[in-house]
Amino acid sequence: MRASSAQRSPMRRVLRPAGLAVAVGLLTTGCTEGGVFDTLNPKGENARIIDDLTNFIGIAAVVVGIVITVLVTYVVIRYRTTDETYDALPEQVHGHTVAELTWTIVPAIGLIVVTVLSLPAIFELDSQDKDDITVLVEGQQWWWQFSYDLDNDGEYEIVTSGDIVFPAGQQVNLQITSNDVIHSFWVPELNGKKDAVPGLHTPLKLHADEPGVFWGQCAEFCGLSHAEMRLRAVALDDTDWERWVSEQTTAGVIPDGQDVAVQRGYEAFGQFCSSCHVVDGVYDSAYENEPPLLSGIAPNLTHLMGRTSFAGGIFELYNDDGTVNEADLLAWVRDAPGRKALAPDNQQGMTSFAEQLSNEQLSDIVAYLSTLGEAPILP
Amino acid sequence: MAIIEHEPNEVLELDSGDPTTPDRGIGVFLRPTDETGWRSWLFTVDHKKIGIMYGCVAMFWFFVAGVEALLVRIQLWGPDSSVLTASEYNQLFTMHGTTMVFLVVMPLAAAFANYIVPLQIGARDVAFPRMNALALWIFIFGGIFLNLSWFTGGAAECGWFCYAPNSGLAYSPGTGVDYYAFGLQILGVASLIGSANIIVTILNMRAPGMELRHMPIFTWMILVVQFLLLFSLPVITVALILLTLDRSFGANFFNVDQGADPLLWQHLFWIFGHPEVYILILPSFGIVSETLPVFSRKPLFGYTFVVFSGIGIGFMGWGVWAHHMFASGLGPVSVAAFSATTMFIAVPTGVKILNWIATMWGGNIRFELPMMFSISLVSMFTIGGLSGVMHAVAASDTQQTDSYFIVAHFHYVLFGGALMGLFAGMYYWWPKIFGHHLNKRLGKIHFWLVLIGFNAAFGPMHILGLQGQARRQYRYPEEANFDLWNKVSTIGAFVILIAMLVFAYNILKSAKQYRNGEIPQAGADPWDGRTLEWSIPSPTPAHNFDYTPVVTQLDDFWHKKYATNEHGKLVKIADGNDIAQKGDQTPHLPSPSFWPIVMATGFPIAALGVIYNLALSAVGLLIIVGSLYGWALEPATDPNSGHGHDDHPDDAPSDGGDDASASQDEATEGASVV
Repeated sequence: MRASSAQRSPMRRVLRPAGLAVAVGLLTTGCTEGGVFDTLNPKGENARIIDDLTNFIGIAAVVVGIVITVLVTYVVIRYRTTDETYDALPEQVHGHTVAELTWTIVPAIGLIVVTVLSLPAIFELDSQDKDDITVLVEGQQWWWQFSYDLDNDGEYEIVTSGDIVFPAGQQVNLQITSNDVIHSFWVPELNGKKDAVPGLHTPLKLHADEPGVFWGQCAEFCGLSHAEMRLRAVALDDTDWERWVSEQTTAGVIPDGQDVAVQRGYEAFGQFCSSCHVVDGVYDSAYENEPPLLSGIAPNLTHLMGRTSFAGGIFELYNDDGTVNEADLLAWVRDAPGRKALAPDNQQGMTSFAEQLSNEQLSDIVAYLSTLGEAPILP
Repeated sequence: MAIIEHEPNEVLELDSGDPTTPDRGIGVFLRPTDETGWRSWLFTVDHKKIGIMYGCVAMFWFFVAGVEALLVRIQLWGPDSSVLTASEYNQLFTMHGTTMVFLVVMPLAAAFANYIVPLQIGARDVAFPRMNALALWIFIFGGIFLNLSWFTGGAAECGWFCYAPNSGLAYSPGTGVDYYAFGLQILGVASLIGSANIIVTILNMRAPGMELRHMPIFTWMILVVQFLLLFSLPVITVALILLTLDRSFGANFFNVDQGADPLLWQHLFWIFGHPEVYILILPSFGIVSETLPVFSRKPLFGYTFVVFSGIGIGFMGWGVWAHHMFASGLGPVSVAAFSATTMFIAVPTGVKILNWIATMWGGNIRFELPMMFSISLVSMFTIGGLSGVMHAVAASDTQQTDSYFIVAHFHYVLFGGALMGLFAGMYYWWPKIFGHHLNKRLGKIHFWLVLIGFNAAFGPMHILGLQGQARRQYRYPEEANFDLWNKVSTIGAFVILIAMLVFAYNILKSAKQYRNGEIPQAGADPWDGRTLEWSIPSPTPAHNFDYTPVVTQLDDFWHKKYATNEHGKLVKIADGNDIAQKGDQTPHLPSPSFWPIVMATGFPIAALGVIYNLALSAVGLLIIVGSLYGWALEPATDPNSGHGHDDHPDDAPSDGGDDASASQDEATEGASVV
């Protein structure tokens, strides 16, 4: 069992600090190249409160981690045995009460400081000003619905999905709930996450400094298609916001019959789609009968074309050149379960129409869908 | 424990080896007698064989869970990946977590608890040997039952904490969640039986003179863990019963439409689930608290502080559960309270880390394999502990919970902590258990590959979490910019695979070399150990101790080897291998039994019945009840079965050690027929 010289090779001395350097390097570079869900790139007041805390506790943790790692490295190198000292007995120290009390009490005091500094943020983030706009956020398997109560009268003037549009520069109150299982609403650049619990309304605030589009996703496992339950938070300046509100509060119109394809699509929609999907002022009857969806209702499509994405935020509604992404839209209407993990047999998500609808009917429906609402207002 | 006059070399007085003819009571209620071959394993009540079987079965599930993890890592290699379907991915991460927690880390700790604890306290077996076997077999059948779901329509797709109402019949209509619920229920029964057994063993069967303050630190940590199990498992049991009533019998405990609050499940689960975290990590803390002193040639720094911080963690672990729920909408006051309690559980954990470093400080550190894994635990667990403190900042945690930052955190705790410690324990006790060392060169390759692979696999997850990657999502969009670190992580996972293959090869190769006589049998005390398991031959003889050791202080065995000479200098006075017991006695041992394994089969059968047909449950229950009769009526093969039952040697007025050792033996055997 004698230590061989290999054990004291420089390898160990080099690897441990090197590993640490790499870890620190990774963390610092990692911070600089976030994507659309970056938590370290706050774009609003709420996210900034969190980010400040994260930086504070994160740096403290890294410093303590480095101290401990350096200490361990020093100890194992400094006190490693050699052939000469292999059988030597070091001084048998059983403990040191003062030292131990010190490293019990000092970290405890440090943690008290951290606790005191960090608790106010919990209350600050939780408070809502009743005068601000309130949006009801409902999680469903597997998409988000947003209902706006603009005048605080308890009635929802706007019902939309996919994009949560709000005015930049002001706090917006969210009341988050779910119509089926537990989801979690998370727009990392704007705030931390908050669970959507059926039967509860949990509060969260949204605030964006500047107009912009911020990606969000469901963050609590909610079944089969949890990965494909995204959203966009779209912050608009005041003019655009006013314009968006006025567009959204107009009801849909029945096609005038001039475009034959749209007319046929309108009729096919009534036959195949309107039992689940509402178009305000056109097909309002969707939910009069028990909806065939266990997890709630299907998205309201009145202003479909005013959104940036569809199908739970996973497909772009427009191509890069600004034209409607008819390919994906058609594929989706034709066979939704083939495009996204859904379980229509268990009434979770849209069923496939590949068997029921001809290609012509499908493109008619897409043509009709393309007439629903104006193009999106983007910052 | 006032009996300390016992002479160490005095042979235990026993009517050993007397041929006996058991009463042939009722024909079927005979005891098996095989001492070798597969029957000797199936029907054994020997804590050592049971410990080895716990370990082997856990390593098998480790392999299965590892394959599950690798499939998950392959799927996450790049954006919008389509290697796996959403359903397959969801099953894999659910079963990976459940398997690692309940079928790998817990039973590996149980393996060491079973094998090592009786040796460390100088006992001949655990208090209830047949119950010990029962716990093992229930665990084995529970693991098989849980994994049956792969072949019966798909495993559970709900994550290891399986939140309601997603776990309800409406949203999870398959049988996967039923297998999950009953699988955990069955495994819980095994753990409860095991915990009661080990608590009784530790509290009642310590060698004369081994007061609690003289007890080895590993045994201490195991004791704390058993109490955590004893009190936390009933909570998950209740939760799982509610879930089963909902799913199989139309109850509405988690049915929101009927006014249920689905957060009830989360509270129940995490009141179990947080102590569970300490159930997973404390055994490894115990292991490194043994190895760091041995390989530093110094006593554990601040034994009392380490013991009390372990107990402190055990208590405080009950007051922090809601930190798993900071985003659940508990309200700011609850969140603030649990944020504060979570902060302070870092204090006793930090005490342990600093005590370990102080143990090495000024020592004479030998880089043997157990030491290398132990040192890596100290470093890696520290990282996991510090990210844990970050999560205690509740507001900050709302950005991190359910992201890969959390995944990184708990893998640093459970892999960098628990598993590193368990590997240290394997290399440390391997010679005691199997009689030979594992190859050191291969062991080093294993170590470095694990350390590098582990950090490559889980280090990048910190970054991914901060970049906003949510856990449990089977694909991610290109815009998220996640692919670089996911690729690194996947490569790291495969490095871990290679490391484990090296480990497996090492086990097979070393065993073969040992069988062929190419490597020597390990001595009784190969590491210059401090605790009683090193005072008996390697591998451990069937009866453990020729005579009951008598203990006068902490690290008693070490103090038999070292003493201060007339100049006040500490010198070696004896070699551990020379003063170890010879292992040449043949005392009477508890007899094997058919009934533990028979009774254990009843549990999965009863559970299958609830899923498919209640008649089958009746069969399962009949097996359990019938086995109880068989158990009770089994004839004793103890030649001294008529002697008085004084299980409390420390209560009895006694004038010598004989009485104590005989009583202890009696306690062992008496228990075997209880």
